Amino acid sequence: MADALIPMPHEDFAPLSRQTLAPRAQRPSLSYWQDAWIRLRRNRQAWASLWILFALLLFTVAGPWLWTLDPSEQTLSRVSEPPSWHKEALVLPPPAPYREELRSGWPEAPATAVDPQTLAAPANFAFIEAPSIQGVRLRWDPVPGASGYLVYRVPERQPADSSALGIPVGEIQGGNHVSFEDTFNLKAGTYWYSVVARNGDESPRFSGLRAELVDGIPLESARQESASAQPGQRVRLQSHPLGTDSLGRDLLARLIRGARVSLFIGLLAPFLAGALGILVGGLAGYHGGRVDQLLMRFTDFVMALPFLLFMILIQVACGMEAGDSGIPVMLLALVALSWTSMARLVRGQVLQLRQADYVQAARLLGARPMTLLLRHLLPNTLGVVLVSLTFAIPQAIFTEAFLSFIGLGVVPPTPSWGSLCNDGIQTFLTSPHEFVFPALLISLTVLAFNLLGDGLRDALDPRLRSHP
Amino acid sequence: MSQEPPQLNGMKATDITSFFVLGHTQEGLTRIDANGKPSPGVARSWELSDHGAVFHLRNEARWSDGQPITARDFVYAWRTVLQPRTASSFAFLLFPVRNAQAISEGKLDASKLGVSAPDDHTLKVEFERPCAYFLGLTSAAITYPIREDIHRRFGDKYGADANQMIFSGPFLLSSWIHGASLKMTRNPHYWNRAAIRLDAIEVPAITPDTNAKFNFFKDRKVDLIDTLGRDDLLKATQQGYKLRPFADGSVLFLAFNFRAGRATRNLNLRKALAAVFDPSEYVQRVVTIPGTQPGLGLVPRWMQGHRARFRDEHRLEPRRPDFAAAKRYLEAARRELGGRIPPLTWLTGDTAQGAREAEYFQQAFRRHLGITLHIDKQIFKQRLAKMNQGRFDIASSVWGPDYNDPLTFVELATAWNAANRGQYRNAEVDQKVRAAQVTADPARRLELLAQAEAIALDELAFLPTHERTVMWMTQPWLKNVIRHPIGPDPDLTQASIVSTGGRGP
Repeated sequence: MADALIPMPHEDFAPLSRQTLAPRAQRPSLSYWQDAWIRLRRNRQAWASLWILFALLLFTVAGPWLWTLDPSEQTLSRVSEPPSWHKEALVLPPPAPYREELRSGWPEAPATAVDPQTLAAPANFAFIEAPSIQGVRLRWDPVPGASGYLVYRVPERQPADSSALGIPVGEIQGGNHVSFEDTFNLKAGTYWYSVVARNGDESPRFSGLRAELVDGIPLESARQESASAQPGQRVRLQSHPLGTDSLGRDLLARLIRGARVSLFIGLLAPFLAGALGILVGGLAGYHGGRVDQLLMRFTDFVMALPFLLFMILIQVACGMEAGDSGIPVMLLALVALSWTSMARLVRGQVLQLRQADYVQAARLLGARPMTLLLRHLLPNTLGVVLVSLTFAIPQAIFTEAFLSFIGLGVVPPTPSWGSLCNDGIQTFLTSPHEFVFPALLISLTVLAFNLLGDGLRDALDPRLRSHP
Repeated sequence: MSQEPPQLNGMKATDITSFFVLGHTQEGLTRIDANGKPSPGVARSWELSDHGAVFHLRNEARWSDGQPITARDFVYAWRTVLQPRTASSFAFLLFPVRNAQAISEGKLDASKLGVSAPDDHTLKVEFERPCAYFLGLTSAAITYPIREDIHRRFGDKYGADANQMIFSGPFLLSSWIHGASLKMTRNPHYWNRAAIRLDAIEVPAITPDTNAKFNFFKDRKVDLIDTLGRDDLLKATQQGYKLRPFADGSVLFLAFNFRAGRATRNLNLRKALAAVFDPSEYVQRVVTIPGTQPGLGLVPRWMQGHRARFRDEHRLEPRRPDFAAAKRYLEAARRELGGRIPPLTWLTGDTAQGAREAEYFQQAFRRHLGITLHIDKQIFKQRLAKMNQGRFDIASSVWGPDYNDPLTFVELATAWNAANRGQYRNAEVDQKVRAAQVTADPARRLELLAQAEAIALDELAFLPTHERTVMWMTQPWLKNVIRHPIGPDPDLTQASIVSTGGRGP
């Protein structure tokens, strides 16, 4: 129909001239993220958590500059000390050599059999010299019929009867040996010493003595802190605001050092795993069909792998030797096994979004698959991803703590919160601070991340938008 | 119980856990009694001379399947132990028997061993050399009888499981769940069954966790804890439990590795490491079990010498740290090792205390010498394997006496002792110990042993760290538990449960 040509004048194809629309009254537009931020700030728990996490980051990053003690330096004269600040101690002179007291002319063992129940309590139980934390020297009078003695000590409480004498610190063979020096792990405070005669079994009668030990520091150790220390002086000791552990290491320094390991794993592992998960999930969701089937069945397979076993297998496969840190392996195992939930999540989202009108439109406009995925699909899954990430972080921190707790993680002397807990639990009843502080930090961090995750989920939920 | 026995073949056992189980389920010619002296076991009586010994076996001794225990079972066991392919670490204990060493070196056939059974109930032993302590050996795990038919049936698997062995002792192993629990019940065929008052010995949990053990005790699930952790002591006394100290006779030491390619072969390096070690600080602040003695020599303080204690007759100076000297040794070592000292590997057990001790040394070496120490924590079986294969630089080790003579400790430094895991070799030490073995004069003999010990210590074949004391406790109703340094420990063969209104067995 050549005669029915519609005329198409050239002007019709000229661009429109720019024109300014009349100003309209409108409040400033709020983007999705701005709105989410406002709602997050309104959530008190989440906001507090964010501050806690910020403080934690500061603790980890700035801590080593503010608290410069070496986390593996041992001060054996101050093991398992509770928190202290600016403590002072008396410098003690080097102790005179101890000589055991032997009662000459007294038999080592009685000539005839003696019923231990009838043995008397040793008389004149006394200190040889003033007791100090360098040593408590005791003496007593020999007991007729004894073939040896036992010296007990108990902190604080006076023993009521012979079953509550405490720890047997000295076992003395021979009825004529009538002195003892106790040097075992003495600390400032009150101790009750008791001595019991024995012959085979112990006598039920005992003599008791109270020792009041003031905080002191051996001259040698004092010289390490200040070179000019003299016996009799009082010196200010290194402060340990969170106390020391069972080898006299500063707990605060160890917690700061341990935070580095815990947060390194805790942040890096979820991010790497998240990236992997997004990639797999995005591909599966976008392509669908065979690719989706294949990738998702593989995801199911990885999900079924037991983590601990896999972790140990990787350690073996990497040829881990003694002294190799378990951290890289732990990271590898965590990333290799924990991307699956993210992949599922992203796949679901992408499958759903793929059908959305704006995606269809972009496709019709000829957008390439990569553009579609990166420009339209993934950014719209970001909300879910972010929430899932915030929940994955505490989980990773917890896993690290758990693995270090059972000895698969960091190698000594590097501390991590988990290994600190493991060290601390041994002495939990006698010096609880060694366990409480690392456990508190783990709990606080995990709680903060979880609350933040909750807050984020609410904030990023489009159905709860404050300004429709 | 802290550790799983690697296996329960008496010929191959080397550890106290195995000795504990074997000591209750097997019996040798003699048993160690409550005073640490040999008392009649399968043998009812014996005659000893400088040239040999004759043991008269009891007619009523029975295996756990009811068959009689005969002298042939001993002959078979001893011959098998000494064969090179058995590769028993403790074969050297039998070297006083004629031709034993030659057999273990593969030079002679096992049938040439100086032991014979003229009849079912007589065992004749010929000596290679006079052996004053031979009677003490006849209660050791290595000398237990072995039934030929059973041993042949299971071969290498003999002793690997409760149903792959047979028992000659007061108890039989009725169940063994590997890594978890053990149960020994009274052996109905044991000759002295009337004297055994316990129906069964149960080990409900095998764990190195001292906390867990303590809780078992508190819940009355166990009646005895043979070793309390240092952190449990105060807890135990607060609960009103009565603690008892027991010096178990063991010496703990660091074994250095002398195999080719190991930095620890270097004497100056060993001297530098030893010079930063303070035994008394270590004992008081790191070990912290009262009664523990700082390490001195290979032979511990309690061991009897000729007239007095061996250590009093052959004195050693206590070791003191000397950081200036350590620096000098380190410099020398660095020159000899080509400028750089590689990181060292420290092999230890998987207990909290083992880790703490390792970390103490790790820091001491790092701070004073700048040497890195890698800590290798292994479960018992694995640690033993690594020690035997020489996969360590320093192994934290323990040695308990096998018999009551300083030789049991000094022999650690000899070339023929498989427990010399670092493979320290010194011809002079070997020669002096050999000379001591054939010396009849006790004073001279001990003098030779002391000289051998001094050489090994000067060369730092080992670095003794401490002489152990353990704290233990029983429930009030468990009586007559025997603890002794030599023989199965703890010894429950005479134990009984008395009624106190509490829980029974």
